[in-house]
Amino acid sequence: MLEYAWLIPVLPFIAFILIGLLPKRTLGWENGGGYAIAGAGGALVLSFLVIWDVLNGHTLTVGAPRSTWLVIGNFHVEFGIWIDQLTAVMLLVISVVGTLVVVYSGGYMHEEGVGRRRYYAEIMLFISVMYGLVIADNYLQMFIFWEFVGLCSYLLIGFWYEKPSAASAAKRAFIVTRVGDMMFMAGLIILFKYVGVLDFSALFGQGANSIVSRGVIPQDMLTLSTALIFGGAIGKSAQFPLHEWLPDAMEGPTTVSALIHAATMVKAGVYLTARTYPLLVQTPESLLFVAVIGGVTALIAATCALAANDIKRVLAYSTISQLGYMILGLGAGGYLVIHAHSGGGYAAAMFHLMNHGFFKALLFLCAGSVIHAVGTNDMRSMGGLRKHMPITSITMLIGSLAIAGMPPLSGFWSKDEVLAGVYEGGQFDPIFFVLWALGVATAFLTAFYMFRMWFMTFAGEPRTAYHAHESPKIMSVPLMILAGLAVVSGFALFIGDGFKSFVEGSISGLGIGTAGEGAIEIAKTVFTDPLTYVTLGLAAAGILLAYRIYFMPGFDRSVFARGVPGTVQRALENRWYISKFYDDFAYKVWYGFSLVADKFDIYVIDGVVNGFAYLGANTGSTIRRAQSGNVQRYTGFVVLGIILLLVFVIYVFPWGGW
Amino acid sequence: MIPIQYWLIFSSLLLAVGAYGVLTRKNAIVVLMSIEVMLNAANINLVAFSSYHTTLHGFADASGQVFALFSIAIAAAEVAVGLAILLSVYRRYQTIDVDKINILRW
Repeated sequence: MLEYAWLIPVLPFIAFILIGLLPKRTLGWENGGGYAIAGAGGALVLSFLVIWDVLNGHTLTVGAPRSTWLVIGNFHVEFGIWIDQLTAVMLLVISVVGTLVVVYSGGYMHEEGVGRRRYYAEIMLFISVMYGLVIADNYLQMFIFWEFVGLCSYLLIGFWYEKPSAASAAKRAFIVTRVGDMMFMAGLIILFKYVGVLDFSALFGQGANSIVSRGVIPQDMLTLSTALIFGGAIGKSAQFPLHEWLPDAMEGPTTVSALIHAATMVKAGVYLTARTYPLLVQTPESLLFVAVIGGVTALIAATCALAANDIKRVLAYSTISQLGYMILGLGAGGYLVIHAHSGGGYAAAMFHLMNHGFFKALLFLCAGSVIHAVGTNDMRSMGGLRKHMPITSITMLIGSLAIAGMPPLSGFWSKDEVLAGVYEGGQFDPIFFVLWALGVATAFLTAFYMFRMWFMTFAGEPRTAYHAHESPKIMSVPLMILAGLAVVSGFALFIGDGFKSFVEGSISGLGIGTAGEGAIEIAKTVFTDPLTYVTLGLAAAGILLAYRIYFMPGFDRSVFARGVPGTVQRALENRWYISKFYDDFAYKVWYGFSLVADKFDIYVIDGVVNGFAYLGANTGSTIRRAQSGNVQRYTGFVVLGIILLLVFVIYVFPWGGW
Repeated sequence: MIPIQYWLIFSSLLLAVGAYGVLTRKNAIVVLMSIEVMLNAANINLVAFSSYHTTLHGFADASGQVFALFSIAIAAAEVAVGLAILLSVYRRYQTIDVDKINILRW
């Protein structure tokens, strides 16, 4: 089956072509939704077959069938597939969330009319290229699909392009991630310059076989290259300081936010970092950079979520924060691989990726259900929805508990594993203790803002007059499935040899000892670690605090408007002024620079060009007076010329030696 | 036998006289006549070299003289064309003063 994995992206692509090109009256159900479900469902089936093979111990990493895409002299660009445990995790998330989101869209996008054709076509293109990204077996192929998902993200954020805010959010997302993409590309160019190939199999040798040991690339250049490749992840996974595009990306339809900006595309950066692990573990400086970016992002994004009133923006910041967790886990996990020969941190990050994919898609789809019912994103006009939307409120409660890290829901297990990995990294570099503290603080904030959102939305009394109703089955069934997954996906930790030793299989070449712990030992490790209870206690405190402030009567929330809390509140509402800083930078510094450049262009560059033109014109108008029209003067010049020529030929040339 | 140098000096002087006439005279007909003088300077050279060649190599070579005859014939045709042009110029401008005929300019 693994050899046919290339069919996975092909099926949604065929759906994309069909939806895009078929005549209008053959589009059928939901203007192309039927084709979309068929494409996504087919890919889901194929993905599960592939995942089943991987679970049975088969992988396809070297020697897979490849096809040549481009030949330039001796340089061949080949496309191939690379299926290992890491790919399987990504396939699982993309196929499950992708299919459920497409089904859910059947209800959510029902009122969009003819725009649905564009919507389904773009969603199918996105799913197709996202699959292509995770099964690529070389960086170039990956980069091409990387750009494709960026394009789809742009198109779908700008789905309501007639709305100026959506159009500009789409542009912002595209341009900001492009900064990261350029870094990614620069990293690849460095690798290519030294190594000459971008195939994973050629780059990922370890020990004496590594590209540094073979003398192909100097150590410092490899460090630069991996740091730059991680720059791509900073852009795509919305890490600090390029994270501001993701909250703006909420201008797109909520289904798009759930699929692209929570479950899949933003995970591409984490996937890239995980995929680059064989190189990253050779460059500890880059790993430290990865970890610090992840930790800082997790905290900053969590604080921004505290003051957001738009339900989708809360979730967007929470996504950034959770992605920060994964990146932090990967950075710390690399230190564990180097010093402790353990793949625990790596596996924990990927575990969190999977769990987060499910519960964040769930949360977004719930938010979509709420928005669908109430008709606004603003939580201040919601409240009391619990009575009107029982399914949505309960599934969202499950999602919130999962992301807050309450046992036994999935978020508890993976968040605990990530934080344990980071703390363990502290033995090798004390900075990981600081990052661990950031992570724990983030866990507290996460629990607080998630329940602030839940209480503001579902609890209490309605704050505005709305006519809410529970969403139709086509929307609520995907919610229930995802809620089920949010509950059970954490138990993957205990099935068989456990999720962690499964994922560690994809970096088994890095000389790690497989843990191979049984379920009992894993559970024992989790529950005997005092740090688990620190995190858990703080998360519970966060929930209680949210309950006290946003649910129990009698709390005067106006304290947030005055004095020091007011200052903090305003800073949070303005997202720590990071967005403002970028705007100011663009408007003032960059605009000033552009003005100078413009003046330089007008006066210097154009001046030179125009100067030559004036010179030619003036010379011409001066010299043309020599054309007097007097035949005898012309003849005189001819005679003069002949005499000069003779003088030269007879006297000057012999004197000069000719 | 007159040495070749004398002929060459003579023809050079003739050419110079003709050129002087072309450059200074205002009357187009005189200019045309001066051109004929310059042309004949060239003809004299041709004939002189033809004769010189015979003296040098001991056998007669008439090509120079043939060229001269051609040149005279062509000069005659050229004068006919030139006078015809002057005639139409005169009809148009009522003058054949070359200083006045200066429309060939910017």
